[in-house]
Amino acid sequence: MFEDDETLQMYIEESLEHLSDIESDLLTIEEGGEDIDIDLVNNVFRAAHSIKGGAGFMGLTTIKDLAHSLENVLDLIRNMELVPDPDRISVLLKGFDKLESLMNNIQSSNDEDVSDHVQDLENITKTSLPEEKQDLVAGVVDLALTDGRIFAQVSQYDVEQRKNEGHFIFLVEYDLINDIHRKNKNPIKLLETLEKTGTIIESRIDFDSVGTLTTWTAPTRIPFQVLYSSIIEPDMAETLFGLNPEAIHIISDDMIHLSDATADSAPPAMTSIEIPQEQIVASQPAPAPIEMTVAVQPPAMEEVKVVEAPVTAPAIQKTVKAKETPQENTPAEAASKPMGSLRVNVNLLDTLMNLAGELVLSRNQLLQGITSSNGKATELAGQRIDMITSELQETIMQTRMQPIASIFNKFTRVVRDLSKQLGKSIDLAIEGKEVELDKTILESINDPLTHLVRNSVDHGIEPTHLREKIGKPKTGTITLKAFHDAGQVNIVISDDGKGLDPEGIAQAAVKKGLRSDQQIAEMSDKEKTDLILLPGFSTAEKVTDVSGRGVGMDVVVTNLEKLGGIIEIESTLGTGTTIQIKLPLTLAIIPSQIISVGKEQYAVPQVNLDELLRIPAAQVKEKIEKVGDADVVRLRGNLLPLLNLSEVLGIKKTYVHPEDNAEHQDRRTSISDRRSFQMDASGEPLNGQERATEDEQKERQGKDRRYHASSAINIAVVSAGSYKYGLVVDELKDSEEIVVKPLGRHLKRCSGYAGATIMGDGKVALILDVSNLGQMAELTTMAETERVSKAAREAEEAKKRAKDKASLLVFKNDEHEHFAAPLNLVERIERIPSSSIELVGGKKVVQYRGGTLPLYELSQVANVGNLPEREQQEIIVFKVKDRELGLMVTPPVDAVEVSLEIDDSTLKQACINGSMIIEGHTTLLVDIFGLVKELNPDWFEEEKAAAAEMTEDGQKVILFAEDSAFFRNQVKGFMIEEGYKVYAAEDGAIAWDLLDKHKEEIDIVVTDLEMPNMDGFELTERIKNHPEFSHFKVIALTSLASDAHISQGERVGIDAYEIKLDRENLMKVIRRYLTF
Amino acid sequence: MNETANAVKAHSMELATFYVGKALCGIDILNIQEINKHFEVTTVPQAAEYVVGVLNLRGRIVTILDLGKKLGLSQIQADKNNRNIIVRSQDEHIGLMVDSISDVVTADTDRIESSPSNINGLKGKFFQGVLKTETSLIGILDIEEVLKE
Repeated sequence: MFEDDETLQMYIEESLEHLSDIESDLLTIEEGGEDIDIDLVNNVFRAAHSIKGGAGFMGLTTIKDLAHSLENVLDLIRNMELVPDPDRISVLLKGFDKLESLMNNIQSSNDEDVSDHVQDLENITKTSLPEEKQDLVAGVVDLALTDGRIFAQVSQYDVEQRKNEGHFIFLVEYDLINDIHRKNKNPIKLLETLEKTGTIIESRIDFDSVGTLTTWTAPTRIPFQVLYSSIIEPDMAETLFGLNPEAIHIISDDMIHLSDATADSAPPAMTSIEIPQEQIVASQPAPAPIEMTVAVQPPAMEEVKVVEAPVTAPAIQKTVKAKETPQENTPAEAASKPMGSLRVNVNLLDTLMNLAGELVLSRNQLLQGITSSNGKATELAGQRIDMITSELQETIMQTRMQPIASIFNKFTRVVRDLSKQLGKSIDLAIEGKEVELDKTILESINDPLTHLVRNSVDHGIEPTHLREKIGKPKTGTITLKAFHDAGQVNIVISDDGKGLDPEGIAQAAVKKGLRSDQQIAEMSDKEKTDLILLPGFSTAEKVTDVSGRGVGMDVVVTNLEKLGGIIEIESTLGTGTTIQIKLPLTLAIIPSQIISVGKEQYAVPQVNLDELLRIPAAQVKEKIEKVGDADVVRLRGNLLPLLNLSEVLGIKKTYVHPEDNAEHQDRRTSISDRRSFQMDASGEPLNGQERATEDEQKERQGKDRRYHASSAINIAVVSAGSYKYGLVVDELKDSEEIVVKPLGRHLKRCSGYAGATIMGDGKVALILDVSNLGQMAELTTMAETERVSKAAREAEEAKKRAKDKASLLVFKNDEHEHFAAPLNLVERIERIPSSSIELVGGKKVVQYRGGTLPLYELSQVANVGNLPEREQQEIIVFKVKDRELGLMVTPPVDAVEVSLEIDDSTLKQACINGSMIIEGHTTLLVDIFGLVKELNPDWFEEEKAAAAEMTEDGQKVILFAEDSAFFRNQVKGFMIEEGYKVYAAEDGAIAWDLLDKHKEEIDIVVTDLEMPNMDGFELTERIKNHPEFSHFKVIALTSLASDAHISQGERVGIDAYEIKLDRENLMKVIRRYLTF
Repeated sequence: MNETANAVKAHSMELATFYVGKALCGIDILNIQEINKHFEVTTVPQAAEYVVGVLNLRGRIVTILDLGKKLGLSQIQADKNNRNIIVRSQDEHIGLMVDSISDVVTADTDRIESSPSNINGLKGKFFQGVLKTETSLIGILDIEEVLKE
């Protein structure tokens, strides 16, 4: 083989350049079918041809043979003798693939077996020829020269074909040493010149006549033989080749003899007659009779090279350019790492050079400034260096940016090959080829993307017959799309195939023990679909050789996550799957916001940062509220959950006292809690805490620390994926560009960090992973709340029911007092002008719907503030005992549904049942019934009489089961008031015991539904199924009666439903049942 | 990995020795990148309790482990003799904080005995073997075992 590294390297580079375009060209040719685009075919033909030419010269026989066979087929296509149908194109594509892999392993290329490919190609050539010519294809001729030598083993077909075109055939002998090297010519260039005027059929180097290194005499000549055909007349030949006439042999018909051995993959170079026949015998006979076997293996994806910038300029131009500067090539390096190079725009290089120059200048200035202690000059130079550095960084990044087209383009082929193999019809639409990505990222997404695209082809798109059956277009579509969004590159792979089956996936996950049935039941379809990403998951019942959906999906995820990318799957069963990948533009350097908590600094990637918020100390109380046990901040009308970084990470909270600058442990338990400090100081013993000294006490009386500027709350509003929250930090610092460095393996489990970086002072700062922090804090994502599955919702409802949910109307009396009343007692809410209120007989009334509505305010009956005077007055109209009355309140009036967790001791007073916290405010629960009774005792004469009567007749007894102490006391209270005797039980089980004990006395059972130990349903069921008790009427008390509840209640035999706080109706029903 | 080191130097190995509490331990010196006394570590909240923090070692982020805690003893007591032994393991540099360092001892591999189940309160699984010298007993740490998460 030819050993001149430089020339060989040049040849390889050129050939690969040719090859890089061929694939898309061939695919375009295939699309065109019979409409042959001659230019395109010529392109491909020329590529194959020049590869062949060079290979012959280099002694790369395998490559030459393959290229030659390819060329033959292309020649037929070019001459319209062959229609490029998909089968033929497939064979060509495979041939070129092989050629490329041979090129990449040039050293071992001659040992490779390409007979399959050659055979396939020859079959194509053969079938397209008329019968009598078919033999020519495999036929081999020897050319006997006039001097007795034989130029052996030339394709008969080639020779015949040229002769038919009216070409003269020459065998030209160059001497590499004297004719080429000494004349400063280049062999490849020579071949090219020849190509311009004719066709090179063969080219060989006669190594045999060169001799070996062991011979003492240095070789004086290296014969390089070119079998050439041209329309140029023989007498012109001398000028054309620039050689002596002896070196040019004109081949006439009688010099062509049919060779006795058939074609061989490695034809020997010029042999003399004496060469023993062994060589030919030893060579393999052509496997002509073997049937065509198309390899069904998918193309090996690993082999597909990462193409550099797409070559758009005509290949020839590049070749010439490359040749002009052969010294710049570093063949040795390039040969060992063929794809390590990068094509960089010269303009960019110029810019870099410029910047480097600037940097040197600025450094000089800086050094001067420092030596002369010139502060101003130093500062200026510093600024310049700052600017240059960022520009330099940007430009260097740009050199690494490559269009995604290099990866996307090859998918045309992947999809084509796969769909053909699977018998599907699929179109691939590609958008956003021009989007640029960092080279490293680009290289690393190749595999995951290939996997995903293959999945779509293999499992996504249905077979053609199925698609027709379900009324989809016969041809499936896969769309590959890249676009920029929010500083990230998004890649979307979508198909209109059958989509993912969440149930199937969920079942598989259970079967594999990855999730429990319980977990599955609470999942939404989306969450089930996402299970596919779990390690060790595969839904493919039968793993095909192409891909198994799910097989390796976890690998895809891991690979993407390594790049800082995320993957999202959206799929609708029957209509298709969309997979979205979000990738950072580059991995190395990211802009980020530096924050600090405690003594340490942390970095929040700018991509995740929405805005920074500082709540002044004075406003903390109003702006930050508590919902449940979570802090939230009201931001432009929306509630934003707050996450205290130190809490999530478990950092001990400290604060620096503004007066003495000492560090103290912070004992605040919640952000909005601004009073605890003072309470602590006075209320707690001094257990060694140095701060509660008398001095400090005094200080605090003056200006409280909680209003000090340093007590302001700093919030970084961040979002990641479906999370958005406010991160409460101690300090917000600068925004900096940081270099991301990985954390060691002992810290891999700390999911709150995305890595670490080194700050200007040399200290390490951790980079926060916003999305994982959200997860750790168990924030519900915005998206999640929308997608909670039905099951989860029901489970939640059940939980809420257990906690006695009730609808309340909340309102205010004076500006600061919040009140609530049961919504079911409310008739209407009215707003009337204050002027229409009349004061008659010491009572306030308003004319209302043709009658008089008495108006009251809370301060008349309870110890609360007075109503502020306003021009308009809001009135809540209640209906009690079939009579209406209005309660004057202050807006806002709003209906809420809350769990009743009532404190019935702290703030209880007349007409106030107790207090509870609603939306962060302590709210007093108004006892409407008590209020009416207080104000209009005469309305209740009837009840009093009935109660008195009952006591005379013999007291009726109620068994009352209720788990909430508040309700138990309330309801029991008004039952007793009405003259009943009550046995109260805390749950169903106790009630059952009581019933058993007092079965003689008890007249009626009233029970709550949601109770521990034994609930209302079970209690009712037992009562109704017990022969002794089945006559008891059971009234159920609920806070919210849902349809499901009512039907369940009917089944077990509940006689009536009443709402807990509706005293009037409950009593009515009890009375009705008892009078039977 | 020590096996490979042993294979190269079949008959002797050099051990860097140091104290963890009262126990004298040794590490094959070929595993050691450097020994330093940088203690400006950044603490990592939520990390395992034996992680002291992370350190910037000339542009590389190195996790520093408290070898005392890692081996199940008490925490390394902070004093001026403390050192970080930076070892290489699985393409990563990891620092082990020790109480103090001692000599480099050349050990005849033939004289290394298999480790008992307990050496001065340390579990035997952490050791590749023990070396008895005239004055002391050196437990040779199995770095990979020690560094297991």
